[in-house]
Amino acid sequence: MLSEKKGKTQKTKIIDWSYLFSLFLSIVLALLVGALIMAATGHNPGKAYLALAQGATGCSSIGEFFTSVFTKRQFGNTLEYTMVLTLTGLACVLGARVGIFNVGGEGQLYLGAICSAQVGVILSGMSPWLVIPCAVLVAMAVGGFYAWIPGVLKVKLKVNEVITTIMLNSVAIYFCSFLSNGPWQTTESTRRGGTQTLAGELRFPRLIQGSSLSTAIIGSAVVALLVWYVLSKTTTGYEMKLIGQNSRFSFFSGLKVDTITIWAMVVSGAICGLVGMFEVYGVKGSYQDGISNDFYFDGLLVAMIMRYNPVGIMLMSIFFAFLKVGATGMELIAGVPGELYRIIQAIVIFFMAAEKGISGLVKANVEKSRAKREAKQRLKEETV
Amino acid sequence: MNIFSAGLFKQMLRSATPVALAAMGGLMTEHAGIMNIGMDGMILIGAFVAVSFSYFTGSAAIGVLAAVLVGVLIGLFFALFVVKFKSDEFIIGTALNILAGGATVFLLRAIFNVKGTFQGTADRPLSGLPLINSSFIGNIPVIGGIINGNSLFVYLTWLFVPLVWVFLYRTPYGFWIRAAGENPGALRTAGISPEKMKWISSILCGAFCGFAGAHLSLGNVTMFSEGMSNNRGFIAFACVIFGGANPLKVYLAALIFGFFDALGYRLQEYRISPYLTSMIPYVITVVMMVYVVVRQQRRRIAQKAGE
Repeated sequence: MLSEKKGKTQKTKIIDWSYLFSLFLSIVLALLVGALIMAATGHNPGKAYLALAQGATGCSSIGEFFTSVFTKRQFGNTLEYTMVLTLTGLACVLGARVGIFNVGGEGQLYLGAICSAQVGVILSGMSPWLVIPCAVLVAMAVGGFYAWIPGVLKVKLKVNEVITTIMLNSVAIYFCSFLSNGPWQTTESTRRGGTQTLAGELRFPRLIQGSSLSTAIIGSAVVALLVWYVLSKTTTGYEMKLIGQNSRFSFFSGLKVDTITIWAMVVSGAICGLVGMFEVYGVKGSYQDGISNDFYFDGLLVAMIMRYNPVGIMLMSIFFAFLKVGATGMELIAGVPGELYRIIQAIVIFFMAAEKGISGLVKANVEKSRAKREAKQRLKEETV
Repeated sequence: MNIFSAGLFKQMLRSATPVALAAMGGLMTEHAGIMNIGMDGMILIGAFVAVSFSYFTGSAAIGVLAAVLVGVLIGLFFALFVVKFKSDEFIIGTALNILAGGATVFLLRAIFNVKGTFQGTADRPLSGLPLINSSFIGNIPVIGGIINGNSLFVYLTWLFVPLVWVFLYRTPYGFWIRAAGENPGALRTAGISPEKMKWISSILCGAFCGFAGAHLSLGNVTMFSEGMSNNRGFIAFACVIFGGANPLKVYLAALIFGFFDALGYRLQEYRISPYLTSMIPYVITVVMMVYVVVRQQRRRIAQKAGE
């Protein structure tokens, strides 16, 4: 009972300062480790990080940032990737809330992308007002269905969903390659491994010229707000939380645990499918092999770092999008391999995951030495 | 052209070996009660270390040794977080996989200045592991053609599987490792630290994944390519579950995977798209996972009915 009360009083705190502090510390430490790696491989860390900031914003000075950042191509890419990370991160949260880990977002994204692209090819010549809703529906249905399989296997048969979703990722990616190099291959002679390029009027208008930022960001914002609303303001969201904390208790309280769990997975997959559709209609203009560069895994990491908090994910997505897009600039300007951002990302997670354990160990040590000192003192007093 | 030729079974052994080696490590951590999904990253790092040391020293043996040593270090690193800091195993495993993917690509660029794959340079080609050819083995009727002329690791695996079995079921350390997962409280009462057993199992897992990675990059082929572990760590995990963490059954599971992987290669000769045939082992892994769970449940129900 007591522990339950404690938990409640902690929840009412709006901002967990100690958590934010360790998050900040983890990021700073990870960037420091990144700097050390750069120094060790013969690069200038200061210059590289400046190049990173330049690569993410497209601005070479602070003055330029305030006057014209919204016209910069690179800044558009950063915003677009923020949207991808937010959606994939939230997709991960939907599963994690009910205690099921959807690691298969990558496969759901690929299938959503290629199916929606093919919808655009089949319905070419028709009004965008018909084609785009169709494409959205197909992408979400395909992604949702593909997440439904591991969801049902987990709920009905208790098959480990981490393994099945990862295996299904490989299956989906190979299957998409089969389609894009076989039956659905483009007839354009200049490209291989992709579907036919979509007609111009089907593609989302660009918000910043030359960048990948399109009006898809509006759709993403709507979806993100919906997910946030459902998770934190509705009974369904509360029920999901209960299931995640204690599914047996929820079951005996009369919640439809199985149905809610499977639906959480389906919606999670549908969002991933939608991200794939946005990538095709907003950025690439067709399905291409390797269309997602680990988008879902990046989102998954952001979700883990923010401990599956929706608002936190939206904010942290900005930082990691900055890092990923900036890494491209860093590679071009400073010659540091862009993969460094992935190392930094992983290190942040290691620090965050270890944070509780380390602080626990430190506390235990402090307690131990204090107890020892007190015991010694008492011993002295008694002997005197 | 017969699809079930000796070549198919040879390919089966080749494909099964890295998975089986990693799975030998995975069943250690499984017994110790750690859900280790970081094996994929461990294999990838092992493959990279093996190739780079083989390149710089010119000796494949040193490459293998380095891969195993680095595997031990990664096992220590993994245990530091999972056992000492009590972090979430799922998060640490995922982070390890991501770190391995990023670090190997980064180092490939930083050290060898190439993207994608590294096969050594023109003046210094990579030295791979030798194939074992013996006329004595080759003359054994029926299976001689299959088991002769494989990479060294195929035979090493046959040595490791029974050794791991003996270690787990016939030595005190094996007993303690199993107890650390099944009943840590009882183990602690007996005066043995379950945490220590978890450390040992993680280290062994890292070493085996190092072997698996070395075989992948110096035995199967002689090169390193980005993400070449290709989810084999997860397949190894599935094999561990399929085989109930019993080394012999786990090796059998790895052979099933190897068989379907090899079958996929063969089917390409029948003009089936390589993309479709590449799907086969992953689909089979899902089927294997479902099969083993359903069988367990049936048995449980039968037991209940028997009572």
